[in-house]
Amino acid sequence: MFQTIPADAPPAHAATALPILQLVGVRKMFGGFAAVEGIDLDVREGEFLTIVGPSGSGKTTLLRMLAGMDQPSEGNITLRGELINDMPPNRRPTCLVFQSLALFPHKSVGENIAFALKVKGVDAATRKKRALELMRVVRLPDNYHDKNVMKCSGGERQRVALARAFAYDPDVLFFDEPLSALDYKLKKALEKELKDLHRETGKTFIYITHSLEEAMVMSDRIGVMRAGKLVQVGTPEEIYGAPVDRFVSEFVGEVNTLKMTRAGAEWHGVDVPGTFTLAPPKDGAALDEAFVVIRPEYMRFLAPGDRADNRLSGAVYNEYSLGSRIQYQVRVGEKVMLVELSRAHALAPGASREVTIGWDAADAFTLGS
Amino acid sequence: MADIALARAPETAREIRHARRLSVGAKCAMPVAVLLGIGFLAPMVAILAYSFATPRSFDVFRSFTLENFAGLFDPANTVWLSFAWSVGFALFTVAILAVVAYPIAYGLNAVFGRWAGLISVLFVFPLFVSENVRLYGWVLFFIKNGVLDGTLRWLGFSGGPEVLYTPGVTLFGMAYTYLPFMLFPMTLGLALVPRDLVDAARDLGAGRLLIWREIELPLAMPGILIGMLLTFVLAVGATAEAKILGGQSIIVISHDIEIAFTYSQNWPLGSALAVVVSVFIAALTLVALSKLDLDRMLGRR
Amino acid sequence: MATTPAVARRRTNTLIWIWTAFVLIAVYLPIVCGALASFNKSRYFGFPIKVYATEWWQKTLDSIEIGMLVRNSIAIALLVTAISVVIATFGALAFARYDWKGRRLYQKLILLPVFFPQPVLGLALLLGFNAVGIQTSWLTAVFAHLVWIVPVVTLVIAIQVYGFDPSLEEAAYDLGCTRVQVFREVTLPLLWPGIWSGMLFAFLLSWSNFPLSLYTAGADSTIPKWLYAKMVAGYTPMVPALGTMATLGAASLLLGGGLIMLLLRRRQPA
Repeated sequence: MFQTIPADAPPAHAATALPILQLVGVRKMFGGFAAVEGIDLDVREGEFLTIVGPSGSGKTTLLRMLAGMDQPSEGNITLRGELINDMPPNRRPTCLVFQSLALFPHKSVGENIAFALKVKGVDAATRKKRALELMRVVRLPDNYHDKNVMKCSGGERQRVALARAFAYDPDVLFFDEPLSALDYKLKKALEKELKDLHRETGKTFIYITHSLEEAMVMSDRIGVMRAGKLVQVGTPEEIYGAPVDRFVSEFVGEVNTLKMTRAGAEWHGVDVPGTFTLAPPKDGAALDEAFVVIRPEYMRFLAPGDRADNRLSGAVYNEYSLGSRIQYQVRVGEKVMLVELSRAHALAPGASREVTIGWDAADAFTLGS
Repeated sequence: MADIALARAPETAREIRHARRLSVGAKCAMPVAVLLGIGFLAPMVAILAYSFATPRSFDVFRSFTLENFAGLFDPANTVWLSFAWSVGFALFTVAILAVVAYPIAYGLNAVFGRWAGLISVLFVFPLFVSENVRLYGWVLFFIKNGVLDGTLRWLGFSGGPEVLYTPGVTLFGMAYTYLPFMLFPMTLGLALVPRDLVDAARDLGAGRLLIWREIELPLAMPGILIGMLLTFVLAVGATAEAKILGGQSIIVISHDIEIAFTYSQNWPLGSALAVVVSVFIAALTLVALSKLDLDRMLGRR
Repeated sequence: MATTPAVARRRTNTLIWIWTAFVLIAVYLPIVCGALASFNKSRYFGFPIKVYATEWWQKTLDSIEIGMLVRNSIAIALLVTAISVVIATFGALAFARYDWKGRRLYQKLILLPVFFPQPVLGLALLLGFNAVGIQTSWLTAVFAHLVWIVPVVTLVIAIQVYGFDPSLEEAAYDLGCTRVQVFREVTLPLLWPGIWSGMLFAFLLSWSNFPLSLYTAGADSTIPKWLYAKMVAGYTPMVPALGTMATLGAASLLLGGGLIMLLLRRRQPA
């Protein structure tokens, strides 16, 4: 039932290679406020790392420090072993694709792409040749070379921004939610293209987004940020299958969370009545109070005689179609539980709305916080 | 910050409004249009009419002659000299002010932070003090036994330089008077350069000089051009500096026009001169403005 | 590394601060010189001043002639403010808010009087008044000021209009307001800061205007006109005294206006 993971997940060399970027105890203060705090992170050569978090979690601040537009207040950032805390962006072998794209409105598509080459003093003919090559890489037609960049569509601008960054030939590329302004379909298409480009170029990509869905599709590893801290770093499977706390589990998608207290060997529900069987927490901690997190797709309706570790009775009061799947909202006392089923297992139209729902302990996470 | 990719959407909404509001906009423009029709265009027509009247007469609309214009184009006339002084001084004023104002405009955008508002007000305020008063203050500063001379003597020097009533001090006075007209459009222009673009250029390896030449200057150009145009045009028409500070050591073109209207009582000649100056200024203004998008300059979303 | 970019930037910023301070000193130096001259006891200016006195200020305040000029200047400025703010508010809406056929042309034509040399504009108006047989007085000066000040105030208010979301008006309209109610309930309150600055501009620009008043006020004199006449012939320390007073008047008006604007903004819900 796990989401399919891209078949090309972590390249073989990634796990063994030395980190290209290393962050140790990085902290950034704005006035008395710590926007980013206690960040330790190793970025592997050639990986696609995505940092996700809600707005205000400090992910853009972190990225700006990596790109050199802000300096950390504390801690060290090293690139291939060299300390780069105060190295200005124009000397770093890194390049940022801005959320606004920051295309130069007074320059053509070709001039935008070749900007980094012009900076290096490359002659005009070579610049044009290289720009056309890069345009082919990002799938822009040749006749766009002299087009006004402001006359390009949203998707075309993304490609220009990408090609412009490639022209700089950076070791690491940063992306600051560049797809956030696009419509759903185009976004999906570009996510796949970006993933392909990552594989083709073999460069290290560090991507920032608030959408975990986006992160799941593209990344080798995901880092989840909250309130300036990195809460968890791991492969998409780890983030999805073994969240370290409630925040991460809820960030990954809609979940059912139930609070429990322990009395001797028995767990009692706080929001719902009854006693429950809990899987031991992943970290093996002894808890007196715990949160049980169950994904809606692990919940099921129980017919009389069906077996399940845990069960609750309630009433269906709403159902939503999610395309191939259906989500039910089931009221259990004051609590609303979500149950997600494929259409094949949908409730029959005439069936009773009074239902029993259940789940197995092994399908749920037991978390301390 | 609105995303560039989204910039299209409001355009259509605006177009929808366009169809509905057509007449409202025209109605709102009416009072201004009437005022300027009577107060600006009509006097221009009157001047034009006078410029074709018999010299030294008040026979407007009753006579037609090109004699006044012929007089202006007569090489024996000194009018061309005044015109040259005016244009030359205006060009120098623009050049000086571009250099003086640029660092301040940059500072207002990127350096002064919360002081920027106060500093702007300090630069605006002199506009509300009659230029006579301000220029006369410089007379008191530069004059013999004045503030500069007196201070230098008091410090034991042999006294201040005699700069008053020279063309140089006239130029100084012009740069002084028109500073705000260069500073504010320039500040507005620099404010139009998105911070992201500068960051992006730096990220792509550009140094400060290259960023300035490739990004900041071209994007701020509309504002800088408006500032230059405004100062140039105002400086071409300036008289007070030459009269008060320059002590009439040079005669500028507006002063010639005044003389024709007042002392020599030759309204047709003065009108012809005014027509030439007006056409020059109007042509320059309209050509320059036609190249600029005022909506973008002033921040329409 | 000898200089890091951060150090270089700090150095540039310091230079910019110094340069700006230097230019500001130059901007205010002549105004200070005028103030100094007005406190000189002697009839003729000489520096350093030997005896300071306020007698020329007293004489200026006592002068019946000057009282009349001040009244003229205030009357002109008040009338110009009242009329120009109404015309310019609508003018600004036409400039920035609505899309209509002649807008681009209108935007450019409205700038012409601003760019036009004022002495020549004054003379042209004088000629026009003369042609239709109107006797020039302080009222014709009001009209002349309007020709120049209305476009300026229009631009000042237009900047506020640009920052205003037209869909707010549409929402009010949609909620059942009449056009007049929309204007009173939504447009006007939101434009108020711009209108207020426009009024300050109108008053202060009229107050300090010389070239237009010179040719179009006829026998009526204003403060700048009188000052000029005395500067050219017949200096007395009353010239810098009155000039300084006019400057202080403008400064206190600007300060008061700014304070009122701040208070208005503070009264708005946060």
